[in-house]
Amino acid sequence: MEIRHDGGALKWILVTICFIFLAVFLLLPLGYIVATALGKGIEAYINAITDEYAIKAAMLTVEATIWAVTINTIFGIAAAWCLTKFAFSGKKILSTFIDLPVTVSPIIAGLIYVLTFGRQGALYSYLDSYNIQIIFAVPGIVLATIFVTFPFISRELIPVLTAQGTDEEEAAALMGAGTFTIFRKVTLPHIKWALLYGVVLCTARAMGEFGAVSVLSGHLRGKTNTLPLYIELLYQGYDFTGAFAASSLLVIMAVVVLILRLVLEQKGKKNLDIRK
Amino acid sequence: MNDYVVLKNINKHFKDFHASKDVNISIPKGRLAALLGPSGSGKTTILRMIAGLENPDSGDIIINGRVVNNIPGSERGIGFVFQSYALFRYMTVYNNIAFGLRVKKVPEKQIRERVKELLSLISCEGLDDRFPSQLSGGQRQRVAFARALAPNPQILLLDEPFAAIDAKVRLELRTWLKEMITKLHITSIFVTHDQDEAIEVADDIIVTNLGRVEQSGTPQELYSRPATPFVAQFIGNSIPVRNFDKFRFFEKDGEDVTAILRPEFVRVFKKGENIQFSKSAEEAVVEDIIFRGSNMEVRVRLHDNLISSSRSINEPPVDIGEKVDVFIYRLFVIDGDRIQLVHNPSLKQESVFI
Ligand SMILES: Nc1ncnc2c1ncn2[C@@H]1O[C@H](COP(=O)(O)OP(=O)(O)O)[C@@H](O)[C@H]1O
Ligand SMILES: [Mg+2]
Repeated sequence: MEIRHDGGALKWILVTICFIFLAVFLLLPLGYIVATALGKGIEAYINAITDEYAIKAAMLTVEATIWAVTINTIFGIAAAWCLTKFAFSGKKILSTFIDLPVTVSPIIAGLIYVLTFGRQGALYSYLDSYNIQIIFAVPGIVLATIFVTFPFISRELIPVLTAQGTDEEEAAALMGAGTFTIFRKVTLPHIKWALLYGVVLCTARAMGEFGAVSVLSGHLRGKTNTLPLYIELLYQGYDFTGAFAASSLLVIMAVVVLILRLVLEQKGKKNLDIRK
Repeated sequence: MNDYVVLKNINKHFKDFHASKDVNISIPKGRLAALLGPSGSGKTTILRMIAGLENPDSGDIIINGRVVNNIPGSERGIGFVFQSYALFRYMTVYNNIAFGLRVKKVPEKQIRERVKELLSLISCEGLDDRFPSQLSGGQRQRVAFARALAPNPQILLLDEPFAAIDAKVRLELRTWLKEMITKLHITSIFVTHDQDEAIEVADDIIVTNLGRVEQSGTPQELYSRPATPFVAQFIGNSIPVRNFDKFRFFEKDGEDVTAILRPEFVRVFKKGENIQFSKSAEEAVVEDIIFRGSNMEVRVRLHDNLISSSRSINEPPVDIGEKVDVFIYRLFVIDGDRIQLVHNPSLKQESVFI
């Protein structure tokens, strides 16, 4: 869509600024990552990314991401559904609390869990008697990741569900359809693209989380180091090839997610035509 | 009694707002009833309570002799046509109509026959694979109608079924819907804020105002014997007249007493044309003339009231600014909650002269 036809000069200035901005802040560093990662030859790179700890860190990142995305998908759908389809007291409060994680610094988020589940926390002795460890262990990392990616899915769904209203669900319910059938046949087709988009955003954010996870992880190499933490560790140890090689793994994962996002956006647009 | 749908002393609040106040309704089997009232008067709320989409705070909802307050809407034998149709937008027309049958686990072969039958009933053959967004307003409405009818409900509820359709198609659909419902002999209730629609389509009209039922009855009853001032105002082209005691022969006992005048209560004569009521007519000036096809609406100014009347196009025409004789046959006199039809007292006297 053309906004204006005459502003040739303005248009080019803006486009140029955008490209320079992208080049300086994104492409240059990305190129630098690749260059440094491959700086000592392809062999060193392959060694770095097939390092036992690198693979373990990548696996842990994937694990934490899967947990966070799964749990936040379930929670996000439930929250969005009840916020948009029912009237109840405390709705405003719930809605505000969902947004909390994006407004609070991730470090604080990490500290909240340390205080809650750590040695000085009220729940510690109780959990300890069941031999459940949260702080400086995988559950802590998963918890932190869930916390910081909490609102991503519900926030994508709420506008779509609000726009749809409740008529279709009511119509289905009056014909005797159960809650699950209504969700599957009426609501889900409607929120499908928004949901997938939310999942993509949530995945991207979960993979890259550093702050909250850093507080809770304890940095045990091969046990509680996620990729971002592992990169930090290598970097602090002046292992630039290793750090940038591991970074390139994270970048590749991010690019895959970005491409997914593009595809979903296109599909979502086509879908818009059907629902008019 | 063979009253099929009965609401007894129904009350409903939304938080502090009293949306239904002591509502009593009864609709005989097979009748087509209209809930008529201004926007916000609680019509949709009543319909939704019958369907089980809202629960009354108190009172009984009785369908076919059985109190259904605690029975879910899906087991009340109800088909519901929503105001905005609420067609499933990600399903084809076929799947929309089939939905209720699939939920009831009807064999697919029977479903196919039923959908086909309904599509031909609503003259939408061949639209099976369209999505709702690919239909015209009228088609959507008919598909919503077919979807509601598919599981063979005993009661059909329609919320403002014509509101979203342009004026021209609306008239067609009204007639169509009335024919359909009469043919199917299904007890039906539809909501409307348009009195013409209610009068034309419904067997019975239930007039609502501010959460109350003001009056129920046939269109003729409401028209000729309004039970409350509101109904007298709302039905017909009624205009309020405060100073009706200025009209010759009419008297007013009390400051707060007002009156309502309808066009058919008034006669406008050309000068010299009036023989019968020569003594009791009053002179007025024509302010406006509107051509209404079969007749002319003539508006005259009488004691500061702009009064409408109609003249047949077969009568000699009057012009704007012309002095005419106006005779008022009768009017509704309103004193608080009471309403009374008062005839022009001179009618008795003059008949003596004829
Ligand atoms: N779910 C609801 N929550 C709060 N108020 C409502 C709700 N539904 C209806 N109302 C109120 O009840 C009144 C009657 O509404 P409704 O039955 O929809 O009127 P109508 O259909 O006659 O226009 C309106 O003032 C409306 O604001
Ligand atoms: Mg309504």
